[in-house]
Amino acid sequence: MEAKPFFSRPGGKIFVIWLLMTIIGVVIGLYAPKHLMPQMVSIEGHRAVLTVVVFTVLAAPVAALVWAVGTYSLLAWRRGAPETPPEDGPPIRGNGPLTIVWLIVTSFLCIVLLVWGLAELSADTAPHSNALQVDVTGQQWLWTFGYPGTGVQSRTLVLPVNRPVQFNVTSEDVTHGFWSLSLGVQIDANPDVVTTLLATPNKLGSFVVRCSQICGIYHAFMYAPGKVVTTTQFAQWLQSQGASAAKADLAARVTP
Amino acid sequence: MVDVTARTDEPELDPGSPPKLVGFIITAVVAVAVAVVLAVLFWLQGYSSPSGTEVARSVGTATVNGVTLPHVTLSFQTYPDASGSVNGVAIHPGGNPSWPAYGMTNEFQVPAHALVTVTVKQYDSGGTLNNPWFATVRGTVGGVATVNGKSVQSIDPNDVAHTFTVRGTPGTDPGFFLNVPLLAVGGNNQSDNGPYNTIVFSFVSGSKGIYAWNCEYPCGTMVAGFGGTMGAYGYMSGFIHVV
Repeated sequence: MEAKPFFSRPGGKIFVIWLLMTIIGVVIGLYAPKHLMPQMVSIEGHRAVLTVVVFTVLAAPVAALVWAVGTYSLLAWRRGAPETPPEDGPPIRGNGPLTIVWLIVTSFLCIVLLVWGLAELSADTAPHSNALQVDVTGQQWLWTFGYPGTGVQSRTLVLPVNRPVQFNVTSEDVTHGFWSLSLGVQIDANPDVVTTLLATPNKLGSFVVRCSQICGIYHAFMYAPGKVVTTTQFAQWLQSQGASAAKADLAARVTP
Repeated sequence: MVDVTARTDEPELDPGSPPKLVGFIITAVVAVAVAVVLAVLFWLQGYSSPSGTEVARSVGTATVNGVTLPHVTLSFQTYPDASGSVNGVAIHPGGNPSWPAYGMTNEFQVPAHALVTVTVKQYDSGGTLNNPWFATVRGTVGGVATVNGKSVQSIDPNDVAHTFTVRGTPGTDPGFFLNVPLLAVGGNNQSDNGPYNTIVFSFVSGSKGIYAWNCEYPCGTMVAGFGGTMGAYGYMSGFIHVV
């Protein structure tokens, strides 16, 4: 019996579907995040977008394989379909090249994701000598932000541009989650524990802070506005909140 | 080995046959019915206030920072016992005894961009705030409130009964924020009809939308005082409908 051409066989058709879905997934991965995610105002935020892009592109062929097999099976082998499903073949054993390729590809993908993730995590938590300290306190159901040394505490998170910020995060009551997508930061706020996280705002603009841990009936309303301003505007804002001019200038100044 | 020919022995179904159509209709009807019931229950449970909505009363116009605005008034109370009643009217129908509550309702309606003057009669005892930041009056006209006729910018954070804390949200007025600490009644004779402090303040309402308010004094039970009355909707929390 003459063998059918590759693209006439189920495997060939599934390959075509996989290829199309992979292309669609890669295109979505390259272009969708920047449109679906809010405007990023920090280096970490931009890195978060890049991470989403890279992870989506890497995941696209893997997900497409599952979807391609599933799609073809549902369409071609549905009840009443003219095509008859092939019989189960024998288990694949002893195929050295296939085993090696499978191991290399899957290991590569896992290692890339692991190393990338660890590197990003390390960058977000590495201490910085000139970081502006901001005390972040979660309480049911509001955030307050303190600026040590100035006596200022605010419901609005105001940050100077182009200066690293160290968030010292804690909670007055239950576990909350300090989360700002635009800043590219998210970390739990636990009572009696201070956790730290760094970000460097690099773009003037507004952002929002939310709670990422379900913390009670008004969890959905646990929100705070934020904005990135110039160093001068930051010093002026600190003064408007009650800080002395000297303290405001000291807090806002960027040490070379 | 799978016998793929076995399925050909099964009866073929005609896509247009009555049993399949009936099954589809039954499934659709049940799905719609479930969705409607869930929607009704969600609406009844999620946004029902114990005693309806208190609508602010118009008293004319007022000028704030050179801008003439509609002027409305609003009044409410804070009681030490949610199960009690005032003048024969239940503070919180079915209210839990020993839980304090705002009354006579927890939902308010005010016009957008108006001067709202609020009068609160506060009957409850108090204590120390978890965060003294909430002892300062914030977001009112002039940054002040009057307590028994005396103008204050803040009160002792160790002598707070409740706070009236309102925030805007994305989609309404993100920057809107109002916090007024309510001075506790001293002594040990607090009751729903006992002595009270009168707190008056004014604020300019934001854009149209629903604004959430809650108390920031830990007057509940369990973790950090935010269980019990603080964790149940309608006692120490509610909404302001800005229309």
